[in-house]
Amino acid sequence: MPGLYVHIPFCLRKCRYCDFVSFAPPYETGEYTEALKREIELAARACHLRFDTVFIGGGTPSVLPHGAVSLLLHHINKNFSISSPTEITIECNPGTVDAEKMSEYINSGVNRVSFGLQSSDDALLKRAGRIHDFSDFDRAFDLAQNAGFVNISADIMAGLPGQTQESYLATLEELKKYGLKHISAYSLILEPGTALLDDVMAGREILPDEAEVWAMQDAGKEMLENMGFLRYEISNYSIPGYECRHNVNYWKNKEYLGLGISAHSALRDPSWTRRENARSMKRYLELINAGTLPVVKSTVIGQEEEMFECVMLGLRMVSGIDLSEFEQRFCQSLVCIYKSALDKLYKKGWIQEKDGNLMLTEAGLDMQNAALLEFM
Amino acid sequence: MAYSRELIRNFCIIAHIDHGKSTLADRMMELTDTVALRDMEDQLLDAMQIERERGITIKATAVRMFYTHSDGKRYMFNLIDTPGHVDFTYEVSRSLAACEGAVLVVDASQGVEAQTLANVYLALDNNLEIIPVINKIDLPGAQPERVIREIEDIIGLPAEDAPQISAKTGLNVEKVLEHIADMIPPPKGSPEDPLRALIFDCIYDNYKGALSYVRIMEGRVRAGMRIKSMATGNEFDVTEVGVFSPSLKPIDELTAGEVGYICASIKSVAETKVGDTITESSRPAKSPLPGYKHVQPMVFCGIYPADGADYEDLREALDKLKLNDASLSFEPETSVALGFGFRCGFLGLLHMEIIQERLEREFDLDLVTTAPSVIYKIKKYSGEELTIDNPTNLPPSAEIAYMEEPVVEARIMTPSEFIGSIMELCQEKRGIFKDMSYLEETRVVIRYIMPLNEIIYDFFDQLKSRSRGYASFDYEMKEYMRSDLVRLDFLLNGEMCDALSTIVHRDKAYAKGRSVAEKLREVIPRQQFEVPIQAAIGGRIIARETVKAVRKDVLAKCYGGDITRKKKLLEKQKEGKKRMRQVGTVEVPSEAFMSVLRID
Repeated sequence: MPGLYVHIPFCLRKCRYCDFVSFAPPYETGEYTEALKREIELAARACHLRFDTVFIGGGTPSVLPHGAVSLLLHHINKNFSISSPTEITIECNPGTVDAEKMSEYINSGVNRVSFGLQSSDDALLKRAGRIHDFSDFDRAFDLAQNAGFVNISADIMAGLPGQTQESYLATLEELKKYGLKHISAYSLILEPGTALLDDVMAGREILPDEAEVWAMQDAGKEMLENMGFLRYEISNYSIPGYECRHNVNYWKNKEYLGLGISAHSALRDPSWTRRENARSMKRYLELINAGTLPVVKSTVIGQEEEMFECVMLGLRMVSGIDLSEFEQRFCQSLVCIYKSALDKLYKKGWIQEKDGNLMLTEAGLDMQNAALLEFM
Repeated sequence: MAYSRELIRNFCIIAHIDHGKSTLADRMMELTDTVALRDMEDQLLDAMQIERERGITIKATAVRMFYTHSDGKRYMFNLIDTPGHVDFTYEVSRSLAACEGAVLVVDASQGVEAQTLANVYLALDNNLEIIPVINKIDLPGAQPERVIREIEDIIGLPAEDAPQISAKTGLNVEKVLEHIADMIPPPKGSPEDPLRALIFDCIYDNYKGALSYVRIMEGRVRAGMRIKSMATGNEFDVTEVGVFSPSLKPIDELTAGEVGYICASIKSVAETKVGDTITESSRPAKSPLPGYKHVQPMVFCGIYPADGADYEDLREALDKLKLNDASLSFEPETSVALGFGFRCGFLGLLHMEIIQERLEREFDLDLVTTAPSVIYKIKKYSGEELTIDNPTNLPPSAEIAYMEEPVVEARIMTPSEFIGSIMELCQEKRGIFKDMSYLEETRVVIRYIMPLNEIIYDFFDQLKSRSRGYASFDYEMKEYMRSDLVRLDFLLNGEMCDALSTIVHRDKAYAKGRSVAEKLREVIPRQQFEVPIQAAIGGRIIARETVKAVRKDVLAKCYGGDITRKKKLLEKQKEGKKRMRQVGTVEVPSEAFMSVLRID
């Protein structure tokens, strides 16, 4: 079933490595959430989708003032049909939550909280431009739990400036006692247009070298597995049954609707179509105020490319691609279409087939990019 | 009726790059109403895009103008534009030989440069009347007094009365025209003598075929005449003669003293040789005009398509360039590392760069070029002698008695403060100091005898950087000299990569081997296994570097619903992979072959 994504592009401060569309103060959230509500209405009129996951991401959705999130969710419920069991996630920065917000979230239907923690090392957090420290996380976690949340996730990061393997593993060690249901373990990517890139280019900042980051990831994986987490995607781990359904929907290359500035959508309309919303606040508001969807780019994806998308995204998951689902979707068998690529990958020991699914091996997951090039 | 020879003025403009030659030509055409103002496009003579961008003239062109003097007479001016670079010295000398005078343009702030001097000497060799002109007088840094002194001291020409102009604004350009009419002698040579026409350039025209640009020294030529090349003995029938106005304009007859073109249904410019004398078949001249030389390429390199599938396109492009450039040579060549390509020969470095650039720009080709090479002479113990222009063809060292390499005389003109660092550079490049003379208190000319193979890499760049751009340089081929040369090879994961081999002096082999290996380590992307890079002379390894294996190649970050970014990254990776060459088991990016050219 399709997923719904809502982008909240505000943060108290921009992290040095971040290249998502988000704005630091001063900002006017009210105007934006009003526009979002208009977009919800416009989108609901244009397509009649049923969603079973909602993901409020950012930016930092938890910077919205009290009441804003429940109003948004209320509006979503009013305009779209939401099926159960529903997964509704909100991303929170540990430095921006209080008891009142937490109970507002849970009372309006949110049942999953994802905290951007990144590290338990306060010095590293500061250096990366994060606004919170580890004690903030501790407090935020308690607030979430006290409000009644069970499904709580944390993002951690490997490769932060100044980070060592010890520090990375110490973060996981610290997390043991919290009983998190999900951990996303990303690694830092130096992106164009970020403050961090400027710092690195100017020699003001040094990142751990690649080999160190690889070692962090390997050691982290082992530790996470010892903590009872299962890797279900390249960078995502969960207690069995707590995989993020919203993200799994992306990786299965299924439909999703993105709302808000810079949000992306993938819809069958009736051809497979990818859409992008305006990236500038001004343009976004202009379009909404003119009574039109803020879509600035819409690309029809040809079947060949759609197939490649399925491979590219599906092979991120440890369980891989469901071959019969693929065949149903395209009326062709994946194994036939990509025969020569698969032959090469089998030879390298990067791919395997199990229980009707095609998946990368552990070695293959480490080299996913190189593996995908064979499919292109 | 032929134009009165007394009123004809044939001249060229000589100048250093950027001193304003083409701009001055533009103003002259404007002032003489040769080109309507609305058709004026800056630097009309430099039609090629690269010429415009680099501000240099690659092919010579010519234009006919009519100038009405204050004495009431109407003069015919034939301006022959000359290529302005050391690689084209021979072409320049032939263009000069077609003139009676030269306008010498010197930048009012830069002063006399090495190349200016070289061209002035050429002009003096051809007995040309030289009119000095000081340009860019409108710029804040202009020092006309100093430049006048320089022209007088260095070149030995009186320059007190030299027009001080701004070709850009048009200031005093009128005076230049007046000087041309007053000071340059009219052409000599009788229209009644047997025909002698000097070819100073040839271009290929899509409709007319190869056109020879000529100066009629004696006699006359018209359509229907049977003519003969005195260099090759080939005969042709003239289909058209004409002048440059500046577009091609057919006329009935060209007579002694005039400049124009001859069209004789010649298929390729390779058949018309610059410097050749054309005469009438039925009434041939006794002797050709002096100065003809068969031009030989001096610098060679392998040119390969970055994507092997473009081989035929590359051949076609080279064919097309060759139509218009008789001095370019190429033949098919195969490299283990690079596949099918061409061995190309050039007059010099700039010529090579221009051809590469034109192939990439005008024909939209992605190229891989191998290190440039010169022609080496090899004497074997067996007594056999051979010449090679590709390091791969060097016989095993055990068979070689000795080798010879070409040396040039380099003239470097520099402000005296850089003498030290420039001499150091020349020593590093195995130069033998010849002499140094002060042109004035703060400027010198240093002469070195240098191996050409040292100059063809990065000498010019180095010279510029060590003199903060102030030094200028010019070279002339001298002779072959015995030299202790070796072939430096590179092995990637144990396999030799032929496209990286170069011939170097034994004393420099170690340093070069080390620095190229280091450079390769930087540019060769990591593979899924460790890649040793080795430099070797004969079978002996002299340097080693290692490209570490890549253990993970995966995008850990998830861009939310924006999967287009991931797709773009993969597409870029794929594109990069397409540009990779497989050397044994190792994937080497095209850039690697070129990055070894610029070391230090």
